[in-house]
Amino acid sequence: MDIQSLMAPFSFAEKEPYAKAMEAAASGKPVAGYLCSYAPLELLHAAGYLPVRVFSRIGDTHHADELLQTFSCSYARSVLDRALKKEWPFLDIVLFSHTCDTMQNVADLWRAHRGDAEVLIVSVPTQTDGALAEKYYGAELARVRRLLEEKTGPIAEARIEEALALFQQQRNAMEQLYALRARYPKVLTGARVMQIALAAQLMDREAHLAALHALLSAVESAEEAASDDSAALPKVFVAGSMCSPPAFIDLIEEAGCHIVGDDLCVSHRAFYSADAEDGSTLEVLTRRSLHRDPCPAFHRTGWHPGHALLARVRAAGADGVIFLLTQFCDPMAFDYVPMMKALEEAGIPAITLSVEQNQEPSEQLRTRVSAFSEMLQGSA
Amino acid sequence: MNTHTFFAGVDVGSAAVKVVLLDEADQILSQAVLPTSGVLADSFRRALDQAVDSAGLHAQYCRGLIATGYGRDRVEGRIRSVTEITCHARGARFFYPEARSVIDIGGQDSKAIALDEGGRVLRFEMNDKCAAGTGRFLEVMARLLEIELDQFGGRALAADAPVAISSTCTVFAESEVISWLAQNQPVNNIAAGLCRSIASRVFGLASRVRMTGPTIMTGGVARNPGVVHALEELLGEPLLLPGQPQLAGALGAALFAKDSVLSSGGQ
Repeated sequence: MDIQSLMAPFSFAEKEPYAKAMEAAASGKPVAGYLCSYAPLELLHAAGYLPVRVFSRIGDTHHADELLQTFSCSYARSVLDRALKKEWPFLDIVLFSHTCDTMQNVADLWRAHRGDAEVLIVSVPTQTDGALAEKYYGAELARVRRLLEEKTGPIAEARIEEALALFQQQRNAMEQLYALRARYPKVLTGARVMQIALAAQLMDREAHLAALHALLSAVESAEEAASDDSAALPKVFVAGSMCSPPAFIDLIEEAGCHIVGDDLCVSHRAFYSADAEDGSTLEVLTRRSLHRDPCPAFHRTGWHPGHALLARVRAAGADGVIFLLTQFCDPMAFDYVPMMKALEEAGIPAITLSVEQNQEPSEQLRTRVSAFSEMLQGSA
Repeated sequence: MNTHTFFAGVDVGSAAVKVVLLDEADQILSQAVLPTSGVLADSFRRALDQAVDSAGLHAQYCRGLIATGYGRDRVEGRIRSVTEITCHARGARFFYPEARSVIDIGGQDSKAIALDEGGRVLRFEMNDKCAAGTGRFLEVMARLLEIELDQFGGRALAADAPVAISSTCTVFAESEVISWLAQNQPVNNIAAGLCRSIASRVFGLASRVRMTGPTIMTGGVARNPGVVHALEELLGEPLLLPGQPQLAGALGAALFAKDSVLSSGGQ
């Protein structure tokens, strides 16, 4: 089967991202919205929910603008606006992680203005290492489990074990995808990888895994792989904050760059996980979350965001880095400084684009990405 | 009939379309600058026709055309598009081979470009959202001060006590200018304050790319001596100013057109 056909199960993610969630809800399956890559998806799945990621989209945010301070990021603004417009009526619960004060405010506003879906807030320890952090987060996950059980009934240990296995398989398959993208850019374009990543957070995970395995097994023998003439294109790594609107990925590819890796919250970072097998199910889940590569909102002793990014950029074989920084995302802004410094010291060119999650990329952004592409090629 | 062949560079900017025609020996044969109209294709065609006609050339002998500027992808008949960052760098180095940095302030954007010894772009920054600190900003302020745009710089240089304009946002700066006018501040002092505010914003871009001199200034705003003076004060060194700074992008595009055709074996 050709790659385009194998992409069909994921294509809804760009056109109608919540089509699968609506189908699930119509068939009587409860649906849980979540906003953060730290959300304990295994617990939601074991409790019988379909976990779907709450994404921003391009469009006005008039309703949210009335309630949020001007320094709130465009992701917060966009998702709150969608909630205020009564989108996602199929959600039974919405699960927030305390990543920053802005998201805490969005959770409170969501709760105050939407009576239909219950809002749960999970507190991930900001400092993720150490016995105390594990104890705290373990208790927090136990609290989430109890809250879910109040709604759907007891969650059998076996169900959590199954969920742990399923989500680990999905992460492993996604890791395979991210490793392959650098070798087969014409097959696994940035747009396709983003579509697969978004779909992974929006549809039944078993169905996604089956479709992804089918695609992965066809990549190396794909027609496009044999005729790959993209070796001359500049290879870029995309880093930054949320960035769900595919328009930004399209912009980079249209400028003639080949995306070989990313560290975006809605793409690769959504599948970061640590190896953890021993202990109870909640202990495993705790360690998988806390010991993973932290996102900018969290910290670990000895963790250096710059060195970590540099390692990822080098592993991907990128010629340069494009930062998509969401304005007013302070946690990312703090990590951005050591990231830029590490890249500069390593002699890896980088460009920073300030993006708004709810706005189409401007002509100036296109020019800057095109100029960066020309710069990486040495001339025009 | 003149059968002289040439290469064309077209810079479709927000305020003006610039055309430079070049021969194989890098001699500039002709040039044209026309205001950009709503229909970009018409503006480009008129400017190209004017440049071709004024040099007594014939369009069919154009060996290659490269387009740059924000309307670059709308230019028909181009070999390809190249961004204005890369074209300005190339054009600037043609004017001054010793230049290691470029400051370009055009109609709706401003850029700071650091070059390596060979003239390739090392780092660059440009304004990415609004027209603050650009030619459009000067146009709006000139109207507000009721002075001609080409007098703006001279009036600024004649100031005895430039006022402080703390905002480069066109809307906020307009409020500040109105406040100064209400306080009977001389127009020259306000014009100088506005030039300084543009220079300050562009200096921020220049600092971010860690520019080193010599620095060449291109773009239409390089013709404003008030902004040039304010920038030189901030940079602490004189700027290199080409005779026709607004042509740097089109010239760079023409040079790329020549390279492109000759490297592909084009006759």
